[in-house]
This record gives sequence, structure tokens and C-alpha cells, in this order.
Amino acid sequence: MNKKMVSALLCGAMVLSMAAPAAYAEEDGVKIALVAKLAGDAFFEVAAESFVEAAEAEGASVEVVYPEEATADAQIKVLDNLISQDFDVICISANDENALQAKLEEAMDEGIQVVSFDSAVNADSREVFVNQAGTTQVAQALMDAVYDICDGEGQWAILSATSQATNQNAWIAAMQEIMESDEKYADLELVEIAYGDDEAQKSTDQTEALITNYPDLKCICAPTTVGIAAAAKYLQDNECSCKLTGLGLPSEMLEYTGDGDEYSCPYFYLWDMEGLGALSAYTCIAIADGTITGAEGETFTAGDLGEFEIVAASDGGTEIILGDPMEFNPENVAEWAEIF
Amino acid sequence: MAGKSGRSINNVPENPVKKALLSWEGILIVLFAAVNIFCIWFSEYYNISSVLRQMPVYLAEVFLMLAMAFILVLGEIDISVGSIVCLSATLTCMMSNTGAPFVIVVLTALVVGTICGMVNGLILTQFPELPPMIVTLATQIIFRGIAEIVLGSGGSISVKNTAGFKAIAGKIGTDIKVPYILFLVLILGVIFAVILGKSTFGRKVYAIGTNRVTAHYSGIHVQKIRFIIYTVMGTMSGLCALFMISSSYGANTTTGENFEMDAIAMAVFGGISSMGGKGNLAGGLISAFIITCLRIGLGQKNVYAQVILLIIGVLLICAVALPNIVQQIQKALSVKKKA
Repeated sequence: MNKKMVSALLCGAMVLSMAAPAAYAEEDGVKIALVAKLAGDAFFEVAAESFVEAAEAEGASVEVVYPEEATADAQIKVLDNLISQDFDVICISANDENALQAKLEEAMDEGIQVVSFDSAVNADSREVFVNQAGTTQVAQALMDAVYDICDGEGQWAILSATSQATNQNAWIAAMQEIMESDEKYADLELVEIAYGDDEAQKSTDQTEALITNYPDLKCICAPTTVGIAAAAKYLQDNECSCKLTGLGLPSEMLEYTGDGDEYSCPYFYLWDMEGLGALSAYTCIAIADGTITGAEGETFTAGDLGEFEIVAASDGGTEIILGDPMEFNPENVAEWAEIF
Repeated sequence: MAGKSGRSINNVPENPVKKALLSWEGILIVLFAAVNIFCIWFSEYYNISSVLRQMPVYLAEVFLMLAMAFILVLGEIDISVGSIVCLSATLTCMMSNTGAPFVIVVLTALVVGTICGMVNGLILTQFPELPPMIVTLATQIIFRGIAEIVLGSGGSISVKNTAGFKAIAGKIGTDIKVPYILFLVLILGVIFAVILGKSTFGRKVYAIGTNRVTAHYSGIHVQKIRFIIYTVMGTMSGLCALFMISSSYGANTTTGENFEMDAIAMAVFGGISSMGGKGNLAGGLISAFIITCLRIGLGQKNVYAQVILLIIGVLLICAVALPNIVQQIQKALSVKKKA
């Protein structure tokens, strides 16, 4: 008896929900959904802010949505919600490269364009990827920094994350290639690649070992935020003559960044998240109005960022590369340290 | 009207409609209707086709709730199910990538889940004094640990041949597309509800949940029943894993994270007491649909995910506290009457 009622009422409520008015507010301009990896990521917020600013200046509207946790499953629920709505473009920073494919294909079948930025989804799940910095650009910037800090000659070392870290290995390989291919770097001697496993203590120990083993070491390059912060503290505390550069977070590097001898790091790099946000916004708008389709070789103008070309990505899809990483030096580090 | 004892046992049969409406399930049905009306008002995108389209990811967890209800009625808990989902999904993806036929892939999911459930069951029945919370906490770490080792830390795996998984994620109908998983949930829901509510096995489960020692001395094979239930919990986790793969074509180290809590929340919200011996699956199923509809409706308007979780948390507290509050009011009233 009870169960019958349950099922009857269940059906009734279902039918009720069917009667929902299909009211679609037709708005002018492109509707973009910007999907984060998780809530509360200062890094993402910087990109999101400039994304919204750039998109709204072009007459588009942006909804920034956050999954409940930093997992692919949570992003699938978010995508489900977005497909039910009437967005023109979904721009996503993915928690997993492959796991969103089924949902993103569903979105594309529904006529929603898919752009990924910051963290890519696989080639089948997107129209185009907006890459914050190409491997070569990062390697070139770091190599030039090393050259500059060493005054063109001497010993230097790399302090990396783990020996299997994909990004770090790609950058290191590219740096080595640049060093070998250009006579300019002939007097630089890369003495060791140390691995701090992205642990503060281990990175400190590795820095100490480098300084002890190579007393003439002029520069350490740490293309990892954990490594650079640990090394910066060690070098500064021990007043080493060896200087440091690499990829780091301004907030962690603030007290070590300076021009004088008392500072361990003259300048370092990281992505230009502001530029990434704006470029992603222009890309979404261009793909929505048909200026680009995401095919290799297409070009478009991204507002005041200039002209960009879609190139082939290493995963078989296409991408747009923002350009060089951003330099953080004594002039701007304090300002950025408040943000991330 | 009320008898002299606290509980009223009336000779006069109560009005069945009134009784059904005042039962927890009755309240839930009203709440279900209210949630749907609210969602229709709140989101212009909320309609039968969008709800049915978005439902599958939430429904996968209902499989867990069905078996979890039995464990809660026993007065126990299994917090390893999310990890079983993860391990089962991982190994199933690997099996799929060897090129095995899809039947074997499905079996892998169910068998891996069942074996994990049996491990829980064996430990708990061989050492009946061990608290299930601690044992399943340990296996939670172990099962996910194995999956993490297989995947490599932070890793993920995706299936190369998605045809089979696409098929089980399929839908029936042209205009209104009903996903297969909804039928499976309803069929299994009815089967589990009948077993728990109408069968001897179910009555034994309630007996154990009410008083394990008494049940034992009444000749109920307490350990056998516990073993069966934990094993079935594993099988259902395997089934859940299968549908998780069908939504993401893969598995990773976070697959199934916190699913045990979602399953427990649905069951408890449905009136199944975690103290054991109380509740039924009709309530569990309705509450599962209430939570699903609410999450879809709020999600469609891009309500901040944490706010949605907060709302569900508040509902849950109310659901757990309400019967107690009602009881206290009744007690206070009856004391007044006596005085």
C-alpha cells in the first residue's frame, strides 16, 4: 500500500517537473562559462578576473563556475549543469586530461564550443587549448636568466622536482638543447641536475650538497616553486655568493628577491596568468563568432594582446601559446606577492 | 486515545492515508514534490529532459545507498565503499584495455567489488569484536592504496575502447530520453526494498540491528548475515564503478572519493537510523531522488558548489534531529497529561 503510494507520488512529481516553463532568456552577446579546477585558487582567480574583464569589454557575458572538489568527477557534474543551460562556449581548466571527454563531446554535440586553458583536456575533447607558456619559451627565458646571472660563463646547476616530473623534464631537456645549439652559452657549464622531489627539506639538502660539492657554483636554476623557495632560503641564510633563478611564487619569494648581495634571487619567472585569462577570453569570443574554428594555421587578433596563430600541440590537437613567462623582479614582486 | 504506555497500540485501525502521510516516507514524498516545485521556480532549465540527462552521475551512488541501508540497519557502517569503487574502476579499465570482451569487463567490475566486500566481511566476521568503522577505515586506505600503486601516484587511466561503456550510459526514448541506469536503480531498489522489508532475511537484519546478542541466541546466524551484506556492498560498489567509468571513460585516484558519505547521507536522510534496526528503503530511495533533484536544480543556476553542500548538510541535520525533537515534544506532552 505504502509503496504503491510512493511510486504514484514519485511519478506525479516527475510529471510536475515536466511542466516546467521552457523560458529561454535570449541575450545579446556570447555567453561563456569559465570552469575552474576548484574554488579558492588565487592563481586561477587572477586569470578569471582578467578573463571576465576582457570578455565583458567585448560585449560577452561570463559565468565563473567552481566544482565542489578538485576532481574530474566534480567537474563532470558542473559540465552537466552547463550543458542544460544555454552557453555558447565552455572554457575549462581541467582536473584530468581524459576523464572529461565523454561530457565535453556531449557539449560539443549540443553545439557548445569547448576551449581549454591553463590545464589541457585531450585533443578530442576541445577545439583549441590556450597554453600559458610553451616549453621552448620557458626554457629560453630560464637559459637567458642563467646566462645573465653567471655573466656569460661559469658553473651552474639545476634543482628540479622529481626525476619523473613531466613538465620539469621537458623544460630541462629544452634548456640543454638551447645550450648546445648556441655558441653564446658555450662557456656555461651545467654541473649537475639535482632532484628535491618537491619537498622543502629535501630541496634544502640538495641545495646544500650543490654548494658543498661545487664551491665555484655561480647560479642555481630551480624550475619548481617548492625547490626555488627552499633554495632561496638556504642561499640567503648562508650568505652564499651563488645566486638563484627559476619558476616561483611571488608570495614565497618576496623576502629573497632583490638586487643587492644580501638577496639570493635577482629575478625569477612564472606564468602570466593575467595575460592567459585575457587571451582565453578573446579566444572564446573568436571561436564563438566563427573567426577561428580551432584548426592549425588560423590567426586572429586578441584585443591589445596582438595577433595570435593556432599551432599544432604535442598531444595531436591545436593550441595557442601566450608567449614568454612573466618576469618577477624587485620592482613588481611585492605587488604580485599580495595576489599569489 | 493514547494507551497507558508511551507507545499507542490501538484496537481501532487508524486512517491508512493519514498514517502514510504522517510517516517519514510521507513527509519525504511531500518534500520531494516541494523540492521539484522549488527547482522549477528557481531554474528555467529544470525540466524532465534536463533532469533525466543530468541524473546518471548521481544515480551511480544510489547503488551504494541500497546496500549501505542494510549495513546501517545492522547498526554498522562501511566507509571503504568509495575506495572499492576506485579499485574496481581502476582494474576494470585495465581489463578493458587488454581488449577483453565487454561481458568480461563488466564481470571484472563486479568480481573485484565482491572480493573487496568479502575481505571486509571476512575480517569483520572472523573478529566480531572489531568495530566496523575502524576495520573499513583500514580497508578504505588499503583499497585506494592498491589503486594508487597500480595507477602510479596522482595517476589516471582511460579506456581505449569506449563502445561498451557508451552502451551502458545509453538512453531509451526519442523526445524524453530515459537513461538505462534509472531503470536499473528502480529495479534493484524494489528488489532490495522487498528483501529488507518483506523477507525473513530482512527481518533477521532488523533483529541483529536491534539487539545482536538476542538475535544470536534466537538462532540467527549473525556472522553469516553480516558476511553476506558486506559482500553485497562490495558487489554494488563494483556496479557503481562500472557506471562511473561510463561517465568519464576512465578512472583515477580520486574516483569514488567520499561516496561512502554520500550513500550514508542518502540513507540517513531517508530515515534509516545509523544506530540500527530502523528505517526502510522506500525512504532511502525517495531521499536519494530529493538530493539528486535539489543538486541538479541548484546546480543549473550555478549556485556555488559549497553552498549546495551546505544546504544538503542542513537538511541532513534536520532529518536526523526532527524525529528526536518530535519524540521529546511527545514525551513532554505525555508528562503534562499524566500530571
